[in-house]
Amino acid sequence: MEAMAIVYGNTAIAVGIILAAAGLGSALGWGLICSKFLEGIARQPEMRPQLMGQMLFTGGLMEAFPMIVLGMAMWFVFANPFADAVKAAAGA
Amino acid sequence: MSQSGTGPSAVEYIQHHLHNNAIGDGFWMINLDTMFYSWLTAGLLMYIAHIVAKNMDPEKPNGLQNVIEAVVEFVQQQIKDIFPGSNPLIGPLALTIFIWVFFMNAMDLVPVDLLPSLGQVVGIEYMKVVPTTDLSTTFALALSVFALIVFYNIKIKGLVGYIKMFLFHPFGKYLIPVNIIMTAIEEIAKPVSLGLRLFGNMFAGELIFLLIALLGGASMLGLVPQIMLGSVWAIFHILVITLQAFIFMLLTIVYLAMAHQNETEDH
Repeated sequence: MEAMAIVYGNTAIAVGIILAAAGLGSALGWGLICSKFLEGIARQPEMRPQLMGQMLFTGGLMEAFPMIVLGMAMWFVFANPFADAVKAAAGA
Repeated sequence: MSQSGTGPSAVEYIQHHLHNNAIGDGFWMINLDTMFYSWLTAGLLMYIAHIVAKNMDPEKPNGLQNVIEAVVEFVQQQIKDIFPGSNPLIGPLALTIFIWVFFMNAMDLVPVDLLPSLGQVVGIEYMKVVPTTDLSTTFALALSVFALIVFYNIKIKGLVGYIKMFLFHPFGKYLIPVNIIMTAIEEIAKPVSLGLRLFGNMFAGELIFLLIALLGGASMLGLVPQIMLGSVWAIFHILVITLQAFIFMLLTIVYLAMAHQNETEDH
């Protein structure tokens, strides 16, 4: 019982750190992409549609890894593999 | 968070909604709801395309024909920009990926409890409506694209040329083990990132819809926060859906274009 509490508590802290890192990475990435986008518009205003398309595209590419990390964090929250391992070890 | 004591708790609600309607177990687990909705969207698209093609009018295109022509021209423009040479498979492949992934993703915009509760009336316990929130779907698409990448690599460059690409990229002939590892990682990363990117985006979107739905049940203002937040998130999600379908299609075209390039020996 105590082991399960320890596992869940540590998983909660770990998920918090994982989500913070994913959010930070995503925000910084978008910030860099959009800042270059704004600079590009300032240099050549007539290129705005193409640059917007490219910005959204590279933004979507950059979001891939924060999304994957988010998926893994949600996996820890809803189907905790560590809890299953502890249960298996305790039951054996 | 629970209501009058008879409803499920918040975690149970979310876990119930994240459960697939599956038969079999282990590797042979087949998610029936995923199969049904992916075939349903594919069948719907085929039917619409058939109807429009039968009544096509080159002089005065009507509404749906205009839309489909715009989409086809859009995809064709992307292919013309990126793909060298000509391959009759790329156009239909890119178009299928784009509109099928878009329609499968768009099932996420249906209110999250609507179709599952209709299913529960009929007796279906679990139903996940969005096929692309299932890793099986996204990896099926990504692995099919990967099979095509390997096939076209071997067809265009020859088996010897393909193996030479592993041995001599990116460094040179004195670092062959490093080359093999790095090129193998690059090749494996293509389908893995394709599948996981689409899955991650759709899964996160669905999860936020579920959390907003929980907000509707629990807050004192009743349904108002749920409707407002749900609408805002749904509008943002329209962008994410289209973008992810577009990225999947574009990366497919880019990877197949890379497979069609003959080796330029510059080292």
